[in-house]
Amino acid sequence: MKLLNISYEKYKLDNGLEVILHQNKNLPMVVVNIWYKVGSAQEVKGKTGIAHLFEHMMFQGSENVAKEMHFRYIQEAGGTLNGSTSFDRTNYYEKGPSNFLEVALWLESDRMGYLLPALDQDKLDNQKDVVYNERLERYDNQPYGLAWELLITNLYNKSHPYSWSTIGFADDIKNYTLADVKNFFRTYYAPNNATLVIAGDFKRDIAVSLVEKYFADIKNGQIVNPLKISNGKLTQNKIITHKDNVQLERIYLSWLSDKAYCKDDAALDILSDLLTGSKNSRLYKTLVFENEIAQDVTAFQFSGKYGGHFTIVATAKPDKSIDEIKSGIFNIISDLTKNGITSKELEKSKTGIKSSFVFSLQYLDSLADHLNSYNFYLNEPNSFSYDLERYNKVEEEDIIHVTDKYLSNPYIELRIVPKDNES
Amino acid sequence: MKFDRSEKPSISSKLIFKMPSYDKFVLKNNLDVYFIKKDALPIIKINIVIYAGSKFEQPGKKGISNLLTMCIDEGAGEFDSLQLSEQFDLLGVQFSVSGNNDTIQLTLQTLKENFGKAIELIGKILISPHFDEKDFKREKRKILTSLKQLKDDPDYLASTSFKSLLFGKSNPYSFPFLGLEKDINNIINEEVVSYYRNYILPNNSFIVIVGDISNKELKGSLDKYILRWKTGIFDAQFKSTDKSDEKVVYIVDKKDSVQTEIRTGHHAAKRNSEDYFPKHLLNTILGGQFSSRINLNLREKQGYTYGAGSSYNYYKDSAYFSVSTSVGIENSANALNEIFKELNKIRDGVTEEELKFAKSSIVRKFPLSFETNSQVASYFIGKVIYDLPDDYFDSYINNINSVTIEDVNKAAQDSILPELATTVLVGDKEKLIPQLEGKDFGKVEVINNF
Repeated sequence: MKLLNISYEKYKLDNGLEVILHQNKNLPMVVVNIWYKVGSAQEVKGKTGIAHLFEHMMFQGSENVAKEMHFRYIQEAGGTLNGSTSFDRTNYYEKGPSNFLEVALWLESDRMGYLLPALDQDKLDNQKDVVYNERLERYDNQPYGLAWELLITNLYNKSHPYSWSTIGFADDIKNYTLADVKNFFRTYYAPNNATLVIAGDFKRDIAVSLVEKYFADIKNGQIVNPLKISNGKLTQNKIITHKDNVQLERIYLSWLSDKAYCKDDAALDILSDLLTGSKNSRLYKTLVFENEIAQDVTAFQFSGKYGGHFTIVATAKPDKSIDEIKSGIFNIISDLTKNGITSKELEKSKTGIKSSFVFSLQYLDSLADHLNSYNFYLNEPNSFSYDLERYNKVEEEDIIHVTDKYLSNPYIELRIVPKDNES
Repeated sequence: MKFDRSEKPSISSKLIFKMPSYDKFVLKNNLDVYFIKKDALPIIKINIVIYAGSKFEQPGKKGISNLLTMCIDEGAGEFDSLQLSEQFDLLGVQFSVSGNNDTIQLTLQTLKENFGKAIELIGKILISPHFDEKDFKREKRKILTSLKQLKDDPDYLASTSFKSLLFGKSNPYSFPFLGLEKDINNIINEEVVSYYRNYILPNNSFIVIVGDISNKELKGSLDKYILRWKTGIFDAQFKSTDKSDEKVVYIVDKKDSVQTEIRTGHHAAKRNSEDYFPKHLLNTILGGQFSSRINLNLREKQGYTYGAGSSYNYYKDSAYFSVSTSVGIENSANALNEIFKELNKIRDGVTEEELKFAKSSIVRKFPLSFETNSQVASYFIGKVIYDLPDDYFDSYINNINSVTIEDVNKAAQDSILPELATTVLVGDKEKLIPQLEGKDFGKVEVINNF
């Protein structure tokens, strides 16, 4: 598809900073998006969550930008900003009118090169409190909010870096020291460990010289080697029951699966859509629509650089048992493995995926983030067509194959049940 | 290259941004059509907005309009529920039905190539929905279960209980769009069908279309598939009387919460009132964005919360101001104290510098509001619902820039009223009551079962 051929220019500064430029003059706006190749996977035991803490510390000012001023300068310029942390990477992005580009680059470069002189114990203590509250708000105080953490800590073996969540364990959050934070910064927040994407309406030569002006003097750091991971296997099923402030029981079934962009990743994505992506999808239709034993059901393939897992989640209707749901799920899986799927089902999934690729092009910030993502995982920013093609190539037999290959293995079964229910 | 890093780069160049213009026409069945052409990508967004929100529900029937949104696409024309859903899937069309207190909306996003077929399907849904008893019963069971689940959701509990207590039971805006469990139990399919007949009418609706299509093709498709949607007579009578504000703290008990959800606020003037722009600037300074006073204090200074903010919230016929945040339970009274401090402080006035900052932020961000088809559609929908002037978008920047500091300070006096604030705390009452002793947030009432 011609639309999905996104033009770009990629080059490197002497200090190793990778730069990707994409011009798009639909609107007078521009996006700056930086990926640091560090996520929670690079953390060590006892200090989990520190990569995510950084996402906070990076907004606390740097040598030439006072505390709180990072936000203020971007907002004053009419921009919006945020950051996010995953297992594999941390990103920071600003979107604003095209004349804010220099301000954004100035701010990003100051915190890449000159964060430590402005870092102190007060700022750290304040953001430890904020992150602790973030954990309470988004995980501990949310119904079913601890499910993800419970799943991954049990699914991946203890030495695998996906066996803790990006927010970090509550005790670890309280224990970071200023030295921990400084060391983490020196190791991972160097230009040679980052990629800067500029997308939108800007003049190419001006952007190149601004990047040179603001980033070229930042010293490169040590080379960060990829992690060496041994992907273990689950040898037997594991059942975990967790009591929570919820009214309805919920069951999670999770299998280790394939990594991002690896052979079976796309077929597993399509499988999740075939199972729960629409009213006619296999699990939804049977469990929710026809039999009404589940209130909702969702399946998804999570995949990262160092691992992946396929998960099915269903909430029981009041007075329905999760055992009934569980056997319903396994019946449908075994039917699928035995009898396959129809070409129409596959066609619907592919059509939906194609449309969503086109719909997503409306968002300049998502486009910029995709350039960074494709560059990180595939070493080719313009991989939109390649990515879509991965899905187009999936055939009916591939679905049967991946279902059998992964979903017949041992799994983690997590049951979240109401507190007052004596089960 | 040597330069002084401590010097912030200036923003010199002026932006040239042209507002998308719109075309308005009326179909023969009295449906108002607003069309905004946007052809950077082969995508079209369609929003059908119907004045059939939950505020029109009779007492004892709270939940009908939501049931209607759940049932209207459960089969239409020659398709049953599953077949209809499949038709959308085969086109790669994203379709949904949603609602709020004022309106029900049918929303659809499609690739250009499938526009005609998508409009045909939406026409069937509007004109010949099945409303089968079997589907109705299933959807009713689904919403009753959802409401049960939402009892665990602190954010939903806080927002709905706050609105209910602020508006009072005699105001239709006090009820959640999803309805009340006891009412839903008694609603029957025929009542949903009659709500459909009474309100889902072209002359009670408008449609906003944004995207890559020619005027001619658009009119052709609408005439072909939407004209059979017949004009009818409806009862548009709606009165809302706001309960008078009173300084009270309601504790909605949620045992074992590790956090307290806080909402506090009072009524405000409607969206199309004259002081909208001063209030918008005022709120931007007070709590509208990350670097506003409330968040900087509660999050960046005190570390009480992950985030805190304030907003003026608008309905077609009412409005209110509120502050919201969630904090560790031990800091509930401290946080509330800081919120009241900020509300009182801003009544003393803002600084020229703050106003300049707020104006700059709003004016420069304006072009970004028109990036996607959905954004453009939602801005036009707001303009129609709130009955804003035709040149609203063209004069927007001018209207912001011409607000004076006196206007903002007057708005603070008129529209920030901590002495009349209704406060809701969703959390563990055993831990909350002792914290509130001797504090001046208003008399305390405990609600055990909201």
